Amino acid sequence: MLPVIVVHGGAGHIPKERAQLSCAGVREAARGGYGILRAGGSAMDAVVEAVTMLENNPAYSAGRGSVLNVKGEVEMDAIVMDGRTLDSGAVSAVRRVANPVQLARLVMEKTKHLCLTAEGASQFARAMGIPEVPEESFITDYARMRWKKNLAPDANPVECEMGKMGTVGAVAVDTEGNVACATSTGGMTNKMEGRVGDTPCIGCGGYADNKVGAVSSTGHGEAIMKVTLSRLILFHMEQGRSAEEASDLGLAYMKKRVQGLGGVVTVDPKGAWAARFSSLQMAWVAVQDEQLHYGLHAGEHFTESAQEQS
Amino acid sequence: MKPVIVVHGGAWAVPDELSKASVDGVKAAARAGFAVLEKGASALDAVEAAVRALEDNPVFDAGHGAVQNTAGEVELDAIIMDGSTLASGAVSSVRNIANPITLARAVMEQTEHAMLTDRGANLFAEKMGLPTVTTEDLVTETERREWERQKSYAVGVKELFNKQWVHDTVGAVALDSHGNVACATSTGGIRHKMVGRVGDSPIIGQGVTEAVKKALKYMGERVQGGGGAIAVCPSGQWAANFTTKRMAWACVDGEALHYGLNPKEEFQEAP
Repeated sequence: MLPVIVVHGGAGHIPKERAQLSCAGVREAARGGYGILRAGGSAMDAVVEAVTMLENNPAYSAGRGSVLNVKGEVEMDAIVMDGRTLDSGAVSAVRRVANPVQLARLVMEKTKHLCLTAEGASQFARAMGIPEVPEESFITDYARMRWKKNLAPDANPVECEMGKMGTVGAVAVDTEGNVACATSTGGMTNKMEGRVGDTPCIGCGGYADNKVGAVSSTGHGEAIMKVTLSRLILFHMEQGRSAEEASDLGLAYMKKRVQGLGGVVTVDPKGAWAARFSSLQMAWVAVQDEQLHYGLHAGEHFTESAQEQS
Repeated sequence: MKPVIVVHGGAWAVPDELSKASVDGVKAAARAGFAVLEKGASALDAVEAAVRALEDNPVFDAGHGAVQNTAGEVELDAIIMDGSTLASGAVSSVRNIANPITLARAVMEQTEHAMLTDRGANLFAEKMGLPTVTTEDLVTETERREWERQKSYAVGVKELFNKQWVHDTVGAVALDSHGNVACATSTGGIRHKMVGRVGDSPIIGQGVTEAVKKALKYMGERVQGGGGAIAVCPSGQWAANFTTKRMAWACVDGEALHYGLNPKEEFQEAP
């Protein structure tokens, strides 16, 4: 059953013309992460690798391709969590850093803190020798187009919220049974400057505990925060629910209690996994026992060999 | 519904010379919050009032009295949450605002977001017309001296965190006459995290004191962390517990004002 990695590219409403891109990127990232696990690498290395690949891919709202805040600028959030020690690192509202997930990991490994924000996060990046990347290199035509569209006074805020591109994330269990999670995002399109969503908030955007499992969330950030979705799902697993049941319970509660939609990828320490969502779509891929599982629309679950097609 | 409010002034080794002021401060804040509840106002109004009182009091590490970061600046975090809707508002790393809890409430009520940070939070404060204060106004003489003393130690990247920073947050929880609960927390020091809630399942059938004790015990065993928590539940049961050396806390429940500082202490006087 071990190792396993599950990756998502955001829960929302993905327009047809972008669906192909969305699925392809997640597949590539899952393969990248699984390669590390197969070679005996750690769950943490695997999830950071998968999320790094998605940050570098402009098709997602994380790193390059991030949605823009109301001023047309990019502010990014990310989190990692190590199930072995419950240690975690996060950055919020960070600018001009190519890979926020890696900076989040450095917060965990090089400081006694769990989260650095904005200017402080940039100072830390500099101290770590991470080069500053020009703002322009993050901004895609697609993100700019959506930003302009949403500036219009009659723009539909719900439509904006569901993010046609999404937050990215991954969970994994390695051959030693350690679990980890990683999540990264550009946030909500046209958000206020300084807006922090669920992603970098421990228990919300992600949580990992070797004794229970790991979760990475995506969807309406404010709703995820109100119910601390990732932690909530793991509480259900602590009460004996399976990864799938717990994920569905958490998402159903969020929908009923605060009218919020989203999606999660979840694993338990034995390798049981789930990719569930209450939104229209979520591009996801899981790799386990050399089998690749994937889907986009509700109810979809395709499988194929994890080996690269030659 | 009989209203209740519980407040705390931080779980840490409160030095003897600050003990009386800490206990007086939490009592005053609890009374201020209860006065709001007695008028029939909401739990949200009550916790904001109590935490504002604690922020204005320089003996606590929130608002006035906050500790300085390595650059000598004051960065403040706060959160407020409304139990009836689960709506929440928070600010992190905001500067030069006397009452971050009020700003957090404005995030909750005046924006579609749940949290704003750093410059964005300050821009919003400006937009809301919230008054700014200078760093000098917020920092006490004692804190300035301590910070100067610490500066002379060699600080590596791993030591960004100042060991003396065991000052902690202030907070309040309340139950109002309509049966709604709310919480508010504010700090100048340790970064406030959204603690995953102790879910329904673990506390069904257990008293709120049991729940708080269990949670603190778990934190101690699992990650060697000490701390304190106050809690109230819709039935009116309340708790204040801590695993640190001390925590100044006070509760007003209409019958009495309960308070303590050292482990196992619980004194009472007229509300």
